[in-house]
Amino acid sequence: MTTFPVALAHDLPPGRVQRAFAGGRDLVLWRSASGRAMAWDNRCPHRGMRLSHGFVRGERLACLYHGWQYGTEAACAHIPAHPDLAPPATIRAAAYDLAEAGGVIWVADEGYADPPDMPLAVMPLRSLTFRCDLATLAWACGLEPAPLLFLPEHPSLVIAPNPLGPDRTEAHVLTAPLHAADRIAAIHQTEALRRLAEEAAG
Amino acid sequence: MSREHALDDWYPVADTVLPQIRATRLLDTDLSVAWDGETASVTGPDGTAYPAEIRFDHVWTCLGPAPRPLFGIEEADQPGRRRVPCGGVRVRCSPLRAVENFLDIAHFPYVHTGILGAEPHTEVFPYEVKIREEVDEVWATKVSFYQPQAAKSAGGATDIRYEYRVPHPMAAVLYKTCPPRPSEWDVIAIFVQPVSETVCIAWPWMALFDDTSSQAELVQFQQEIFLQDRSILENQIPAGLPLDPRMEIPTRADLTSVAYRRWLKRRGALYGALTEAE
Repeated sequence: MTTFPVALAHDLPPGRVQRAFAGGRDLVLWRSASGRAMAWDNRCPHRGMRLSHGFVRGERLACLYHGWQYGTEAACAHIPAHPDLAPPATIRAAAYDLAEAGGVIWVADEGYADPPDMPLAVMPLRSLTFRCDLATLAWACGLEPAPLLFLPEHPSLVIAPNPLGPDRTEAHVLTAPLHAADRIAAIHQTEALRRLAEEAAG
Repeated sequence: MSREHALDDWYPVADTVLPQIRATRLLDTDLSVAWDGETASVTGPDGTAYPAEIRFDHVWTCLGPAPRPLFGIEEADQPGRRRVPCGGVRVRCSPLRAVENFLDIAHFPYVHTGILGAEPHTEVFPYEVKIREEVDEVWATKVSFYQPQAAKSAGGATDIRYEYRVPHPMAAVLYKTCPPRPSEWDVIAIFVQPVSETVCIAWPWMALFDDTSSQAELVQFQQEIFLQDRSILENQIPAGLPLDPRMEIPTRADLTSVAYRRWLKRRGALYGALTEAE
C-alpha cells in the first residue's frame, strides 16, 4: 500500500473531472460542487467507458456514454434510461481513499491515504511531467527518491513526485510564499530541472 | 481459434464510390484492393487472390476456405431509395464494440446531444428482442425514442420507431421511421472491417427516401454522428467486448446488447471478444 500525489488541489476546482494515476491504476479524479474530491477507477461499471470523460452535476459524477450518475459514496444514483428505477446498491465505481494535505491531493492504491508531513506555509506552483523515472528526477534535484523532495539548491521549492513508469514521472511543485517575480524564477528553475533530468535519461 | 471462425465471414474492405487501389488490412492480414469501376480484386501479401464481391456499394472479401453466405438487405434495390455509402472511419476499438454501440439507443441524449436525443427525454421504453432462429439473426423490435433531429430530412423533433437487425457478427442494420414517407423505413447499416481485434474500420451505409438533401449533406450528417461515437469507442476499457456477464452491468435498456453478446458466444464469433473476466 502506497500513497501517491496525483494533483495540486488548486488545479481541481469544484466541477472539474480529470484523469490521474496512482501506482499503475488509471483513475478519474473529480471534485463535487460542494468541494469534495474523489478518486475512482477510471471505468464505468456499465459499459467500461472512462469516467474521466464524464461531467459533474452537483454532488454526482455522470458518465459521458449513458449519463449514469454516481454519488460521492461511489454508488450509482441514477440511470437516465430508467428514470424511475432505484439503481441496485451493487452498481458502484471502485473508490480509493483520498486526502488533501499541503495543497496536494494524495491517493492510496489500497487502504487509507497516508500523506507525508507537509511543511507549513507552502503554496502550489505547478504540476509538470518529466520524461524520466523517479530516480533520475531525484538525481537532477541532487537527492535520493523520497515522497517529498526538498531542493538543496533552491530552498523555496518542494516537489511531490508521482512515478508513472520508467519514462514518466509527475512533479507537483510547491513553494514558500513568493513575490510574483520570484514565482516566475521558480517556474524557470523547474524547467531547468526537467531539462537536466531528461538529458540524463537520454 | 477466434480468428479461424472469423475467417469464413465476408467483410467490406473498400467502397465503390470511386475507382481506387487501396492498401488495407483485414483480420491481421495485409491486403491490396483494386476497384476499377466494374470489377474488384483482393490480393494478399504473398500474391494470394481472395474472392471479391460487390454488395451494398462496397467491395467484400472472405479470407477463409468455407465462406458463409453474405446476408442481404431487401431495401438496397428498392426503386426510389438513395443509397449512400458514407466512407470508412478508422476506430481504435474492437469491431464488436463498434457494432454494439450501433445497437444502443440509451446514449443518444449524451453522445448525440440535440441530434438523436436530448435530456430530459432519456427514458428507454420496453422493447422486444429475440434471436430469429430460422435466419440466425438478432432482432430488436418496437423500439421507440424521442429525437430532436432524427434524420437530415426530419424538420423537427419526432418520436422515432426503430427495428434493429444483426445478420453478421460485424454488421448491423437499423430500420427507422422515415420522416417524408411514414409507410416506409429508412435503412441505415454499419458494416465493420476488423483490422485486428482492437482496431476496425466502420463503413456506415444508408438507403433512404430523401429527395432534397445532397449526397454530401447526407454523408456529412452520418459522419458527424459516427465521429461522436468514436470518442466513446476509443475510451472503453477493456478494448475487447466482454462476453462474461460478470464484467459489465447491463439494464433492461441493454437487452439488444445482451442478446448480441449471447449470440456471438453461441456462434463462437469471438474475434474481438473477451470470454473471461480479467
